[in-house]
Amino acid sequence: MVHQHFKLVSNYTVAENIVLGAEPTRRLIGLAGYVDMRPVNAAIAELSERYGLSVDPTSVIEDLPVSTQQRVEILKMLYREAEILIFDEPTAMLTPQEIGYLLDIIATLRDSGKTILLITHKLEEIKQVADRCAILNHGKLIATMEMATSSTADMARRMVGREVIFEIDKAPARPGPVVLDVRGLVVENEHKVDVARDVSFQIHAGEIFAVAGVAGSGQVELADAIAGLSPVKSGTIQLSGRDITTAAVRQRTIGGISYIPEDRQDVGLILDFPLADNLASKSYFKPPFSHRGILRPEEFASYADDLIERYDIRCSNGAATLTRSMSGGNQQKAIVAREVEQDACLMIFVQPTRGLDIGAILAIRRRILEERDRGRAVLLVSLELDEILALADTIGVMFAGQMIKVAAADTLTREEVGEYMMGVKQS
Amino acid sequence: MNKHEDAPVQIQLNWFLRFFGNERWQFATIPLLAIAASLIAITAIVGAMGVNPLNVFITFLQGAGWILKPAYAGGYGMFSDLSNTLTFFTPMLLAALGVTIAFRGGLFNIGISGQMLIAGFLASVIVGYSGLTAWVAKPLVLLIGVVAGAAVGGLIGFLKYRFNINEVVASIMLNYILQYSVSYFINTRFLDQISRQSKVVSPASMLVLSSVKLGGVNVSVPLVFLLAIALAIALQFFLKKTRLGYEIKAVGANRRAAEYAGIRVPRTIMLTMMISGGFAGLAGVSYYLGYLNCIQPGKLTSLGFDSIATALLGAAHPIGAIASSFLITTLNTGSTYMSSMMGVRAEIAQLVTGMILLFSACSAFFRWRIAVAKQRAEMRAAGTVAPGAEDA
Repeated sequence: MVHQHFKLVSNYTVAENIVLGAEPTRRLIGLAGYVDMRPVNAAIAELSERYGLSVDPTSVIEDLPVSTQQRVEILKMLYREAEILIFDEPTAMLTPQEIGYLLDIIATLRDSGKTILLITHKLEEIKQVADRCAILNHGKLIATMEMATSSTADMARRMVGREVIFEIDKAPARPGPVVLDVRGLVVENEHKVDVARDVSFQIHAGEIFAVAGVAGSGQVELADAIAGLSPVKSGTIQLSGRDITTAAVRQRTIGGISYIPEDRQDVGLILDFPLADNLASKSYFKPPFSHRGILRPEEFASYADDLIERYDIRCSNGAATLTRSMSGGNQQKAIVAREVEQDACLMIFVQPTRGLDIGAILAIRRRILEERDRGRAVLLVSLELDEILALADTIGVMFAGQMIKVAAADTLTREEVGEYMMGVKQS
Repeated sequence: MNKHEDAPVQIQLNWFLRFFGNERWQFATIPLLAIAASLIAITAIVGAMGVNPLNVFITFLQGAGWILKPAYAGGYGMFSDLSNTLTFFTPMLLAALGVTIAFRGGLFNIGISGQMLIAGFLASVIVGYSGLTAWVAKPLVLLIGVVAGAAVGGLIGFLKYRFNINEVVASIMLNYILQYSVSYFINTRFLDQISRQSKVVSPASMLVLSSVKLGGVNVSVPLVFLLAIALAIALQFFLKKTRLGYEIKAVGANRRAAEYAGIRVPRTIMLTMMISGGFAGLAGVSYYLGYLNCIQPGKLTSLGFDSIATALLGAAHPIGAIASSFLITTLNTGSTYMSSMMGVRAEIAQLVTGMILLFSACSAFFRWRIAVAKQRAEMRAAGTVAPGAEDA
């Protein structure tokens, strides 16, 4: 299997990585065992030649570009004479030229009799290289199709297939003035790669702006940048007419942004804190929680009791419950409670209902609509197309870091959104 | 959602898991478990040497002045020994508090010894060798201690957030730099030719009143003993009830979540290291101008390193640090008497201290084992574990 994140020892050579776990050992004068790399190097060079991988077995992994590292992973499988090769999102980190090269390699492997299983979000690649494809949605096999007779549009439609759980009554939006104005935003990840590119959009008071896109399209980084957790490379962010592009997180919180992050256990909560401390983690510094730098534990406790009651947070020990001991759903409710109570003019929700049961999902979706009706601007990032279609007033679709389509929700069909998400349709 | 949540299974745990598995009291029960385990190990070792373990523990307590010895030399009594223990206790507690606050902020201040040394050295040079009167000298010594320690701690914090230098590496390097530069200045300027140590500081600058007669016996009064206890209580209040304490704990528990909550993480890291260094500086002056009255050039005190284990034994809790400091200093000061009375080598006393510290350093492991055992018991009760799968 070629994993999405490579399993390589970065300070070893290519050949050393390939034989790791099955090193050919020899004994010097019958005693001292050592690893003999010479035949391995020759064998790998030969393999690399045969499948056109152009990898030098003696170069060190950390000196190689990502695409070559990936070919090392392929060589690893070939060296061990694997017959079934699994590729998990192999093109996620490659440039278009490299993708073409990789697809050629995959085709060569197939022609030499190997079985290839390719896992990908990108329909174009499937179209180019696959013979048959299976479509999965929420763990269910939707269809198995012959590629020769099917179109990408048809595939996209099946991929976004409807999950019928429930409908929510949604009153028409009454949008007010612009609250969030993002212009030409570029965000880098820690590897200095642009993950959001030239993104521009506006959100009005009383409007739910939903960002659709397959995982890793840059939507999470966009939300992080607006909340102030990752720096902006270029472009501007304005909140109610004030430039907050470089403002600190605390200033943005006070200025009226609340944020439900994607990673609730590692970012949204401090699991080793009692629930009360987490519920107040965005307001502990101001009255009534704190007065001249001294905290008021009784205020923390009564505030927590109030939220536990109103948001139906189940916890064994009330305000003093260790957050780590709570279930994921109740942890999520705690974050939602805290962020809704911020009384912010802009609320950012990233995957707010992931992993919750239907009752909790429904409650959170209703809450999002309520907040909209109370005149807040809502930025909703979700991988669930159903959630986006159920809630959005305006839909922005991100593909490969770009906001490729922004339109009113009622002018787009589910299929159209799906096609934009998969990059099948460009505007 | 977990399906057991709505209908919790009543589980019968055995007494051991009930007692040690309760997370709310683990801050106290786990160190007790560590101490109990080390006492058992010590009993086994000492017993194997043919010495009665009970007598070993009694002589420790006698040597440290907690219980009466059978006989005393003229002018000495139980309180002489006890005051010696408390004089050593004071820097130990202060240093352990320095380690504690750093731990709570997610940092590891291994440079306590270096911060102690520079604080002790500067206080000796500026105040100890001057002719200042006691009323001026003593507060000035404390002030210099705090400032010098906090400056070094702050430097480590600054290096961490500005240049992303790991605080452990920076502290160890600074330990060497401080150790040898202080040694250089002592050797070139402040050396006592006979003792080969730095010149003795003036009694006025000392944080201990030595040779005070109390009920006919000589005692030394550690002047900052109560200050150290008060600081431990203050630190507990600080961590629990102040805004900065909340921020330090948040950064220590989860840096990303702290940043998300709007806490300025770099500033908090620097402040944490400054407070930690400030405690180390206080420990330094109460050690070099209290327990001792001079500095041996070229050496770092082992107290700074022992304080790390002391803080661990105290479960990184200021009040716990008071208890563990009492234990560790008792072992330290009682060891000479124990070894001479029991006829065992002095190294055995070090071994005993080492055992306790070793077991206290294992407390995270104990905690983990207990959590695993508890989880298995719960799974067995719920019938979700297949027979034979437990050792997997």
